[in-house]
Amino acid sequence: MTSAAPRADLLAEAFVSLADTLVDDFDVVELLHNLSKACVELLGVMAAGILLDDQRGHLTVVASSSEEMRLLELLQLQNDEGPCLECVRTSRCVIAGDVASQARRWPVFAPAALSVGVKSVAALPLRLRTVTIGALNLARDVEADLPVEDQRLAQALADVATIGILQQRSAHRSARLAEQLQHALNSRVVIEQAKGILAERRGVSMDAAFDELRRHARNSNTKLGDYARIVVRGDLETLTP
Amino acid sequence: MDERDRWRDRLAEVGGGVDQPRRICELCVELLGVTGAGLSMVTSSGNRGVVCATDDVSARIEELQFTLGEGPCMDATQLGGPVLVPDLEQHDDLVVERWPAFLKGAVDVGVRALFAFPLRIGAINVGAMDLYRERPGELLPWQLSGALTASDTAAVALLDAGSGMAAGFADDVETRSAYRLEVHQATGMVRAQLGVPIEEAFVRLRARAFASGRPVADVARDVVTRRMTFTQEDT
Repeated sequence: MTSAAPRADLLAEAFVSLADTLVDDFDVVELLHNLSKACVELLGVMAAGILLDDQRGHLTVVASSSEEMRLLELLQLQNDEGPCLECVRTSRCVIAGDVASQARRWPVFAPAALSVGVKSVAALPLRLRTVTIGALNLARDVEADLPVEDQRLAQALADVATIGILQQRSAHRSARLAEQLQHALNSRVVIEQAKGILAERRGVSMDAAFDELRRHARNSNTKLGDYARIVVRGDLETLTP
Repeated sequence: MDERDRWRDRLAEVGGGVDQPRRICELCVELLGVTGAGLSMVTSSGNRGVVCATDDVSARIEELQFTLGEGPCMDATQLGGPVLVPDLEQHDDLVVERWPAFLKGAVDVGVRALFAFPLRIGAINVGAMDLYRERPGELLPWQLSGALTASDTAAVALLDAGSGMAAGFADDVETRSAYRLEVHQATGMVRAQLGVPIEEAFVRLRARAFASGRPVADVARDVVTRRMTFTQEDT
């Protein structure tokens, strides 16, 4: 955990940068990725992930602080059980300070979490009025409940994520929640396809492929989702190193 | 058994074959509380065509959009998300102002609510599905969920049909969504390995799974972990 003063600075910085993003024409997956990173910095957690209800009965990972497969798998496991699923079902935050003692509650998730060094977890709802559209999942390597003040901050970050999903630019109107959600989910799929192409062309990990995608998108002043689409649809030969 | 379960069971029964798109549309009409349903396809060269429609009004909705070059299914395709218009005559929903000519044509044939879903898997663009109602009204959450799984299934069915895999490899939607990250990553890798368009890469990945009697997710994992590589020689 960081000491009070630097954290206040970090917090101010994070919210200024998030506010900047929201007034611009932003990419929703990029925003959610930055939010996950902010969770790691501000809350001193191991990893953070954002899962959305795909409105087909599943939760789908739409952003995470790291693209490492073991983390994504742990998040994805929660389609069947785990803190995120409980959080979305109940619309309440789920705090488990000791994953090791949750083997009965989460017979698959708990051992999987422990095997990658996750000792405690928290899940906070992405909530819009009465609807819960997903959850922010925090994984920690300490065996303790997430402190109450950190829970409040995490919920504030989860709320920013919800606003971000709703505020994506749409075709000349404030679109319906379902439209925005599906758009965000499809954008993530395009990014996965593009990651696969880059990982294969470069012989690098998915994590490295994602970093490269983001870097190229930024350098060419293109939204991440748009850039990913160019990679997937474009000529492979143009993917020069 | 609740509506969601019944929907899932019935959709699973649709199975493969050339009939699949039409049967998906009929099922939407039977169970999702809509008057009619239609599917249209867009080819890689950008041509569009009506695949099937459950009634004349549905067919008209599809044709109007192609003729006029505007409408909700065009928007859905472009945006990568559904366009849901529960009341075409409620003009404070600004979306209808985007397609004035289509709006008039649709209202003239008795359409009051229109829900367009892109048939899309990431950057793979297959076409669109339109559901309409004669009366205004939102889709209920379970109906929306049903329409989304119908459009997922139709997207894969049309891709298969377009590539000669019409024998119908109906891997169920459940399996697909649970592992979607790796399946999409693997699709990208196969595209790079074979130098084929993303559509074909997706079909090839599924064909390999079908041929070896394994779930797509397992084959995708082999590709992502580099235990399996696709070459031009295998088909």
